[in-house]
Amino acid sequence: MILEIKDLYVSIEDNLILKGLNLKVNGGETHAIMGPNGTGKSTLAQICMGHPSYKIESGDILLDGESIIDKTVDERSRLGLFLAMQNPIEVPGVTNFDFVKAAVQTRMSKDEHLRIGKFILKFEKASQDLKMGQGLAHRFLNQGFSGGEKKRNEILQMKMLNPCFAFLDEIDSGLDVDALKLVGQNVTELKSNDLGLILITHYQRLLDYITPDFVHIMINGKIVKTGKDELIKRIDQEGYDWVKKELGIEDEDIKPYSLGVCPSKH
Amino acid sequence: MNILKFLKEKKTLIAFDNEQVINKAKISKKNNHLNFEKENDYFVFIENYNLTEKLVFEVNKGLNLRIYLITYQSKNLEIEYEFNIEENASLELYTNFNTRRNNKFNLKLNFNLDENASLKLMSALIFNGNLSLSTNINLNGKKSSAEVEVLNIGYKDTKFNIDQFVRHLNKSTVSNINNSLIATDKSKLKYSVSGFIAKGNELSKAHQSNKGIMLSDSCEIEVEPKLFIDEYNVEASHGAAIGQMDEMQLYYLLSRGLTEQQARSLIIFGYTNPFISMIEDKDIKRLLTSQITRVMKGKADNE
Repeated sequence: MILEIKDLYVSIEDNLILKGLNLKVNGGETHAIMGPNGTGKSTLAQICMGHPSYKIESGDILLDGESIIDKTVDERSRLGLFLAMQNPIEVPGVTNFDFVKAAVQTRMSKDEHLRIGKFILKFEKASQDLKMGQGLAHRFLNQGFSGGEKKRNEILQMKMLNPCFAFLDEIDSGLDVDALKLVGQNVTELKSNDLGLILITHYQRLLDYITPDFVHIMINGKIVKTGKDELIKRIDQEGYDWVKKELGIEDEDIKPYSLGVCPSKH
Repeated sequence: MNILKFLKEKKTLIAFDNEQVINKAKISKKNNHLNFEKENDYFVFIENYNLTEKLVFEVNKGLNLRIYLITYQSKNLEIEYEFNIEENASLELYTNFNTRRNNKFNLKLNFNLDENASLKLMSALIFNGNLSLSTNINLNGKKSSAEVEVLNIGYKDTKFNIDQFVRHLNKSTVSNINNSLIATDKSKLKYSVSGFIAKGNELSKAHQSNKGIMLSDSCEIEVEPKLFIDEYNVEASHGAAIGQMDEMQLYYLLSRGLTEQQARSLIIFGYTNPFISMIEDKDIKRLLTSQITRVMKGKADNE
């Protein structure tokens, strides 16, 4: 499969965030998107998933040549898109197990029935792989989870849902060294020709464990430079100023926008 | 008396209306006093019982009891229940009030707890009617404690006025109130939640949590959490979070492929599930689940 983002302009509350972004991801490829804060990396992931707060001004998002910009969030998910969120949302009262089961069932045709035994084994295996501990199935979705547990739970869902294209939005934030390694290993194990990965990160450390095929630098709402490992090393050592200098990019005064607040704990 | 089928099979049933008493549990009953002397799970079914005096449940010293109290009324009635929980005794009480018609229902629940006594009250309020419910908990004895869990679903033109009052009348007493409220259609749920800690009752704890979700534009939820504290050395908190369905929760579930209807149902289930899972008896659990399913059918659709 191919995910293609064409000349995409996206705004939120009348402020233009993405300004002519182009990106093509083939199944089996891993792309890393790096860039300074407020440059639109998360916006890219959210708009591909269909977040209702963002507005596409122009451009297109194509999945195997078909535009998906008129598809709803759930339709995009069922088409194979996945977003591991930077701040996974807590849903009190809904157990992880019930949630993941419902999500898996939405991908089944009307004639299919979930084989519950097989599903439980797969859930337990994924849980063990990510060292989520016993009882995860019965814990309420992300409620009372540590930052690291929330991130690992995102990867668990990814393992259970088998997406075609997965955006991992700063999956490394909030993870200690061991957890980062574990997440990296699990994501790497999922790599196949059927999965395109888009890693959004600030740091090299995630890319030590998940090797990207392409590295993109995003500044001021578009991809300004594409390369491979050498870009990661240079960013780690020198930051982004050299890119701006090299390409003659001036800083813009972009204020961060809130997409809402996390629900309060009950 | 139209006793629910599964209740008829319970060996510890006590059921009564104005004409008949079925006392399989062999509870000592004198006038309006039920005296519980043996540890057990009891099922109390009351139908259209027009009480001239309050009905008193006596939980004797040191006993650990669980009572499932099902009240069915099809007339405009006033009822007062009193529970006296003696020293070192504990009562887990599940109440399910119901009506077969849209009528007025005035109800008082009074609890008196002696030293080291504990109460866990789980109230399911899921019917279409006009209810005034006053819950008064008196923590008379030192180290007595009360936990109150309410699941209230309002639908059609339900009007519920609920007053909850916990009085901390001794040292080291603890109360914890959790109200989970769901309003749909044109229902109106009004709660006044009060905790009172009298002077000198140090080391007491009073906590209140109220969460409510409104699923239509015409429904209302009003909650007034109040604390009246006349002692410094205590712990207390209160709060209310009432609103429409959380858009971020909805987006999160949609992003995993659930349809909007499924996602909304799951979020609502998240309100009801913790309450259901607290109930031990599988028949009572099934009764409650079917009640919820019946009234919530189609309510997850976006209006």
